[in-house]
Amino acid sequence: MLVVRTTFARALQIVIVGLFVTVGTNLLVRLVPGDPARAILGEKASPEVVRALRHELGLDQPVIQQIARSLGRLVQGDLGTSFGYRGQEVASLIGPGLGVTAGLAAVAIALSLVVGVPGGLWLALVRRTEADLIGRLGTTVLLALPSFMAALILLYFVSLKLGLAPAGGWAGSWPENARYVWLPALALTTYLGPLIARTVRQAALDAIGQPFVEAARARGVPRRRIVACHVLPNALLPVITLVGFNAGILVSGAVIVETVFAVPGLGSRLLQAMSTRDLPVMQGIALVTAVSIVLFNLLTDLLNIAVDPRIRRTH
Amino acid sequence: MSTEITTADINVPGHVAVRRQIQPRRIELHVGVGLILAVVVACLVIPILDRTDPNALVALPLQPPSAEHPFGTDMVGRDVFIRVFTAGRLDIALAALGVLVPFISGTVIGTVVGASRRRLVDTVTMRLTDCVIAFPFVILVLVIVVIIGADTRIPLLPPGAASVLVAVWIVNWTTYARLARARTHVLRQEDFISAARLLGFSQARIVARHLLPSVWPTTATYAVADALVLVSLIAALPFLGAGIQPPTPEWGSIMYEGRGFLLQAWWISFTTAGVLLVLGTGVMLVVDALVSNPRRPRLP
Repeated sequence: MLVVRTTFARALQIVIVGLFVTVGTNLLVRLVPGDPARAILGEKASPEVVRALRHELGLDQPVIQQIARSLGRLVQGDLGTSFGYRGQEVASLIGPGLGVTAGLAAVAIALSLVVGVPGGLWLALVRRTEADLIGRLGTTVLLALPSFMAALILLYFVSLKLGLAPAGGWAGSWPENARYVWLPALALTTYLGPLIARTVRQAALDAIGQPFVEAARARGVPRRRIVACHVLPNALLPVITLVGFNAGILVSGAVIVETVFAVPGLGSRLLQAMSTRDLPVMQGIALVTAVSIVLFNLLTDLLNIAVDPRIRRTH
Repeated sequence: MSTEITTADINVPGHVAVRRQIQPRRIELHVGVGLILAVVVACLVIPILDRTDPNALVALPLQPPSAEHPFGTDMVGRDVFIRVFTAGRLDIALAALGVLVPFISGTVIGTVVGASRRRLVDTVTMRLTDCVIAFPFVILVLVIVVIIGADTRIPLLPPGAASVLVAVWIVNWTTYARLARARTHVLRQEDFISAARLLGFSQARIVARHLLPSVWPTTATYAVADALVLVSLIAALPFLGAGIQPPTPEWGSIMYEGRGFLLQAWWISFTTAGVLLVLGTGVMLVVDALVSNPRRPRLP
């Protein structure tokens, strides 16, 4: 029942996201003072191009009719036609990029878990020592570091100075991509990893203070077993929600890091679309990423329901 | 599974669902404020003391840091030191403007919605904010930037700034509204609000005089962290072909231009990054201190 309700809520959110993009852009386009097509294309564009965009945006029609038309197309899975690449479907343009960005994000999440969970647990176990202080300070500095700056620093030291990774590019197929993906993923890890470490540390500290840990200690359960069986599961729980919550920030970071490492994902598409002011492509990217994030959130919701019996009990 | 946000899980970097038991962190607050002030004062004072035009070609290109040019020179021979601290004025001013408007509008909207007893108002606002939060911030901002167009200008601000600011204003009120609403829902249960209701005060008066004074400290804490998010966003935009247009000095565009010269001249990108990182660490320390010791609203 809870699973059905959660899935339904997320499905509804996807519908609202679609409505929001369509209605929002159509209204915003009309709110811009002057000729919006001219504003989008800039002063240098030729009159024919501006007229074509006016038609594409439906400015030659009443706004309600235009919204209905865009919604109708969206329902059929048609994201529209690219403006820069004449005639090309937006969906076919951003499809491959989505796969690349999703792959990068997945590797970044995996790396962050590998670094953050043991790191946070260790910080909790050595609490109130110098190591804890340094660890906390380290996470603070790393969280203040925007991912594109982390990307520049890694590009310089790891790739250009030490030559441990290619300075950019993409193999195109999966096992081979590993050589290219790890450095951009590491740049994203500088944000998500410390975040996970902090959360795990706090949750572990909370768990250590609980009576069941004391009871286990009193029963003579070995320390290693207490950490692995009593503290760790409780420390891992908030991480699921945390990763779900940060999916949007991760994608934001990923598109920028991609442009630093010339990874042909959504970021590179976005950069191209920006240079030609290709609104349909950008709208498509916004929609596709938002829907992916909602689906990812659904996954974390379901995972939470599966692993945390308390959620099932309260509903 | 609810979509409620409480102050405990504000989407502040490093503070999702983090609650500290440790007592106030005075040192963190002081060091943090010190670092922020150091960068802000440097940005204000250095361009006054050294009146070199940030766009003037003062020396040979790609000169390493020296006594005369502490951050070296860039690929055309401009002084990076002057450029970085001139850029800081713009970046910090934009971030402040970008935070202030959503902070005010979002806090007011959230409090009004939270205090309202009409379920429809609440549902519609919350679904709308849900939806905005589902988008990657950078991508949503870019779409709005394209629609508004680069030619729109705000007086006193350089080209490219207006569209970014407006986009941020459109997007960012949502988080503040959610936080304010959650806080209002907690406050609604308090006796002093019931008392105000019983006294027959109007809804507007209750919101303005009784709820808002207790709501804004919560959203203000988030605003501090949000300022850092905005500085990072503005600096990231040149990497996606948007943002402040060169040659206006701006942290992001300096780093973006320097990116192609990392091996020959690391100082172009990395001195800029260093200054941004000092500011960022200061902000994070202040946020740490504020979140671990949130200002308790005074109850009458």
